[in-house]
Amino acid sequence: MTAKVAIIGAGPSGCYTAQALLKMDPDLEVDVIDAQPTPFGLVRYGVAADHQGTKGVARQFARIFIRQKARFFGNIRIGEQVTLGELQDAYDAVVIAAGLSGDRRLGIPGDDLPGIIGSGSLTRALYEHPDAAALPELGQDPVIIGTGNVAIDVLRLLAKTPEELRGSDLGDGPTAWLAAHKFRKITVVGRSSAGAARFSPVLLKELADLSAIDVSVMHPGSANDEEGKRRLEALAELVAATSGPVQVDFHFDSCPIAIEDVSTGLKLDVETPEGRQSLLASSIITAIGFTSDGSLDRDTMLDSAQDRMRPENRTYTIGWFRNGPVGAIPKCREDAQALAQRVMSELQPDPDRIGRNLFETVPDIVGFDHWQRVDALELSTAPDDRCRRKIFHKAELLRPSNLQDA
Amino acid sequence: MNIAILFGTETGNAEMLAEDISSALEDEHQTRFANLQDTGPSELRDAELNIIVCSSYGDGELPASAKPFADRLREEQTDLDGVRFAMFGLGDGEYATTFGHGSMKLAEMLIGRGAEIVGERLVHDASGDDLPEDIAIPWAEAILASGNAAAASTAE
Repeated sequence: MTAKVAIIGAGPSGCYTAQALLKMDPDLEVDVIDAQPTPFGLVRYGVAADHQGTKGVARQFARIFIRQKARFFGNIRIGEQVTLGELQDAYDAVVIAAGLSGDRRLGIPGDDLPGIIGSGSLTRALYEHPDAAALPELGQDPVIIGTGNVAIDVLRLLAKTPEELRGSDLGDGPTAWLAAHKFRKITVVGRSSAGAARFSPVLLKELADLSAIDVSVMHPGSANDEEGKRRLEALAELVAATSGPVQVDFHFDSCPIAIEDVSTGLKLDVETPEGRQSLLASSIITAIGFTSDGSLDRDTMLDSAQDRMRPENRTYTIGWFRNGPVGAIPKCREDAQALAQRVMSELQPDPDRIGRNLFETVPDIVGFDHWQRVDALELSTAPDDRCRRKIFHKAELLRPSNLQDA
Repeated sequence: MNIAILFGTETGNAEMLAEDISSALEDEHQTRFANLQDTGPSELRDAELNIIVCSSYGDGELPASAKPFADRLREEQTDLDGVRFAMFGLGDGEYATTFGHGSMKLAEMLIGRGAEIVGERLVHDASGDDLPEDIAIPWAEAILASGNAAAASTAE
């Protein structure tokens, strides 16, 4: 008897789970549902526009739908067109791989002032996510709070010259927006010492090739571990390698205390080893992790998922939705392979479950063939210096005007 | 010819390419397909030719699934005299200084244990325009067509 598995979220965790399940049993019915009309989640909307090599996993994910016969059901938001309960009734197992798209707040006085922008919100706008807000005005002296890989991605994108963005898929709007900003200084603020910061040394090395920046480092601290030493080395090399017009100051060991509105913009108070300091900012970008955006009731779902409390729900969670915003693409794969083993060992197919028939009456669903046409259109209409021109209005993504036979 | 197609991967891309190479060769050759993670160094002796696909991760390091193999190679000091292998790398040209270092390091380790490399180590650039299988399959076929690879297959 063919078992039916629904996966919520077509990002890396969802796709790797589908891949692993179908490798174990090629006859499974695996349906991957996404709120967006396009698959691949953060590969499309989170991996930086200038990291096309990293986006290469999308080719692997496409094969899950083309060769392994997983089905993509795009443009279905769980809780709107279909409820989680209906999905649980229709499938033998449900895997929630919905990710985390809300920006974690600083939790300090003034953290909701205008001019403070979450990195997720900013990168969705930069990478032309259909639900993104308009790109914000950052002014000439933005401050980035956070020293993880997302913070470094944002810094790199802001600091790149038009020439350095060649070959990326950064869209016309975001490209013009970047060019209109004449940054004088970009400040990066982190609570930890440089050695204990979360960024990968590789990302930092990449910054050394940027022509526009001139990096300085305040109180990096020391490190005893290998990884910490590599971060300090990479920072020292970065300082030595850069001498461009845009000042980039890393402030480590600087704990944000409060933000105030002042006449010149925002004033960020930080606690440092040298006492309290005030940093002036034309805008503040927070890159301190992600949380639920509230569109799915994550706490309840984590509780109702099988591994926590309720085996009868036959529901599993994975990826950032389960673990919080830690771990990159390889971690998704590793976890998905482990989860697939577990799902397979616990699957009890029931022929009365209706599976994908649940979606028959849902309007405007798009499948993988639709994505293939959109993908081909985006690739074929790319400007000379870009590898793709993303379609970003949802209506256009659903019914591209110059898409034949759509 | 009796060929083992082995892969060292971190995100699964090298596994996918190894599958493609395996599919391309399996009609004309006796092929075996395995993750380096599940392969002991002495098993390289079982094939007349080992075609290895290996990515690079982080700062030009070996990918996760090649690491246990490399550890065993180091610890067991396996003698690979007489073993033949061809190496295809996956890399990302955005990281120029460490481009393809994963496959380079693995090839050097094998040569260091006495194995012989057949053909040229090629590295696909994930930031380039070519598809990896479009380069790797002709590369593998060219190696097999050359007398070099066939030299060890007198038993066939």
